[in-house]
Amino acid sequence: MDYRLRLAKRMLFNKKGSLIGAVLAVTIGILVIHVNFVIFQGLFDAIVRDISDYRNGDILVTDEADYIDKSDLSLVNWFERIPFVEAATPRLSSTAEMNMTKNGKLIEETRIPIVGVDPFRDIRASTVHETVTEGNYVFSRNTIVLGSNVARDLGGAQVGDSVKVLVTDRYGQDQIRRFTVSGIANSPGGQGFDYSAVIHIDTLRDMMSRSGDTGSLMVKLNDPSKADEVKEFFLRSFPNDDFLAETIEESAEEQLAGFRSGIAMISMIGYFGMGSSAFAILTIQMMLVNGKTKEIGIMRAIGAKRKDILILFIFQGIIIGAIGACIGTAAGLGYTVYADITKMSFNNSLPLEVTYNWEKIIQTALTSFILAIISSLYPSYRATKLLPVEAMRSV
Amino acid sequence: MSSVLELVNVSKIYGEGDSEVKALDNASFSIKRGEIVLIVGSSGSGKSTLLNMIGLLDSPTNGQIFIDGTNTTSLGDNKISSFRNTKLGFIFQFSNLLTDLSVLENVLLPIQIAGLSSTAEKDAKDLLKAVGLETQMHKRANKISGGQAQRVAIARGLINKPSIVLADEPTGNLDSVTSGTIVQLMKSMAKKLNQTFIIVTHDREHFGDVDRVITIKDGKAFEGDQPSTMEVLA
Repeated sequence: MDYRLRLAKRMLFNKKGSLIGAVLAVTIGILVIHVNFVIFQGLFDAIVRDISDYRNGDILVTDEADYIDKSDLSLVNWFERIPFVEAATPRLSSTAEMNMTKNGKLIEETRIPIVGVDPFRDIRASTVHETVTEGNYVFSRNTIVLGSNVARDLGGAQVGDSVKVLVTDRYGQDQIRRFTVSGIANSPGGQGFDYSAVIHIDTLRDMMSRSGDTGSLMVKLNDPSKADEVKEFFLRSFPNDDFLAETIEESAEEQLAGFRSGIAMISMIGYFGMGSSAFAILTIQMMLVNGKTKEIGIMRAIGAKRKDILILFIFQGIIIGAIGACIGTAAGLGYTVYADITKMSFNNSLPLEVTYNWEKIIQTALTSFILAIISSLYPSYRATKLLPVEAMRSV
Repeated sequence: MSSVLELVNVSKIYGEGDSEVKALDNASFSIKRGEIVLIVGSSGSGKSTLLNMIGLLDSPTNGQIFIDGTNTTSLGDNKISSFRNTKLGFIFQFSNLLTDLSVLENVLLPIQIAGLSSTAEKDAKDLLKAVGLETQMHKRANKISGGQAQRVAIARGLINKPSIVLADEPTGNLDSVTSGTIVQLMKSMAKKLNQTFIIVTHDREHFGDVDRVITIKDGKAFEGDQPSTMEVLA
C-alpha cells in the first residue's frame, strides 16, 4: 500500500470524531437526494402510473376530428398483433346530468364527466375496474359505476340504487336513460374516476347517437419503453387517416409539467444539501490539516515533497468520499426498500411508485464522492504551503 | 578526507532596517566525511538557525552551502526535498515521530518517500536492532518512552544512509542517564557507519570527546570551545 494512503487512513481513523463528522456529511447529502427521489419522483411516477393505468394507457390514439370512425374492433385487433402490446380498449367520453331520488328527495347533479367503456377489453388494458371498491364494474348495458364523489354528491348513492342520466346527443337532443348503480369507484390519489361515472360504451354511443364511433383508444404495452416505436409504427401504418397518437409523456404533458418543475426544484434543494455537505467536509479537512501541522512539517523535513503532502490529504478526501458514498447509498437504498415494502403512500392515499433508478443512484454516489475529493483540494493545497521549520514548531 | 559540507560566507538576517537582526554573520567552514561536530553556543546564539540552513529547512540571506559538492542554495523546492531525503538525516529534540505510525513504519518513512528499495524493511529492522528496539518495532510511536523515541529518531535519521546526520538538541528532552545512552549510541553509529554527525547542543559536557567543536556566539562561528583558543570561522 502506498505510504501516503496508509498514513492518510491512519491519520483519519485516529481522529474518529472528524472522520464520523465528514462521513456523516456525505451520508446525509446522499440520503437527502434518495429521500427526495423516493418521495417526489415516486409521487410523479405514481401519477404517471395512474394516468396511464386509468385514462391514457401507454399510447393514446385519438382523431383530429374528435371521434374515430374506424371500427374499434379492427383497431384493437391491429394493435394486439404487435408483440409489445398487452391490450387495447376503446373509450368514449361525454358529460351528463344525473338525478336520483334518495329518501324521497330528488338530487340533481350537472356536468358530470361520463366515460363509456368496453368492460371486457377495458379490464385488460386498464386497472380502473380495480378502483371499484363496492359492487362490480359495468358488465351490463344498463348499469353504471359512480365515482365516490359523484355518489356522495347524489346524496349517498349506493350499489343497487337507480340513477337517471341525461346526455345530449350529436343532434342536440336530450337522451335520458335509467341505470342501476353496479359499483362505486374510489381511487387513492384521485386520478381515477372518482368525479366521473362509467357506463357501457355501446350505451353511451346510443345516447350520443354515435353508433360505431370511438373517442379514444387506450393502448397498454407490456414494455412501456417501446411506446415511441409502436406509436410511429401505428402512424406509418395508417397514413391516410387523421389519427393522433401520443405516448403517456405527450398526452399527460399538461398535467405533469407542473410536477416536473416541482421535482426539479426539490432536486435542486437536494443538490444544495450536497453542496452544504461539501462545505462541511472542507471545514473538517481544514481542521484535520491544522491538527496535523507538526506532522506535515516533519514529513517535509525528512524529504516529502509538496506533491506528497497534497496526495496524502487528497487520499483523506477519497477515503471520506468512499466511505460516505457507500454508507449514504446503503442508507438511501434502505429507505427506498422500506418505501417499497411498506407501499409508502403520499398523504396516506396515493401509493408511491418506488423505482430503483440505478443510473441515478450511481450518479448520486459518484457526485458525492467527487465533491468530497474536490472539497479536500483546498485544505490539501493549504497543507503544502506550510514551511517545514514553522510547521514543526506547532504543538 | 573530502569535505561533505562547506559553508561559504553564510549569513542569515531577520527583519529590515532598525529591526534587522543578524542571526548568523558571514560563517565559513567545512566539515569532513565521518566527523562528529558539535555546534555549541548559548540560547539565541544562532546555532539552530545554522542547523536549519545546513538542513535546507531555511535558506541563507547571503552565502552558499555545498553538500557533497552541490551548491544547495540554487536548488528548487522539489530538489531541496529530494536532497533532504537522500543526503540528510534529522534527529530532533522531541524526536518528532509520526504518532499515527508504528516504530518500524517511522523508520521506513524516509525510504518510502524516496521510493521504497527492495531491502528497506530489512535495513530498518537491522537499524532498530542496532539501537536496541527490535522488540518494540510494531508498537505505535506514541506508546514508547522518550529515550526509545529518540533511538527511533536516530534509526530514522540513518535509514537512507545520508551524507550528514543533523541532530538538534538530541538530548535536550531526556534525563541524564538516557542522554548518556543516546550520546554513546550516536557516537558508536558514527564510528560504525563512518557517518558525519553535526550536533547542536548547549550541553557540551554530555558529548565528551568529539572530532570538532564549533561555537556560535552573537551569530559568528568560532572553531573550538575554549575562549582562549577560539578562532573565528569567516
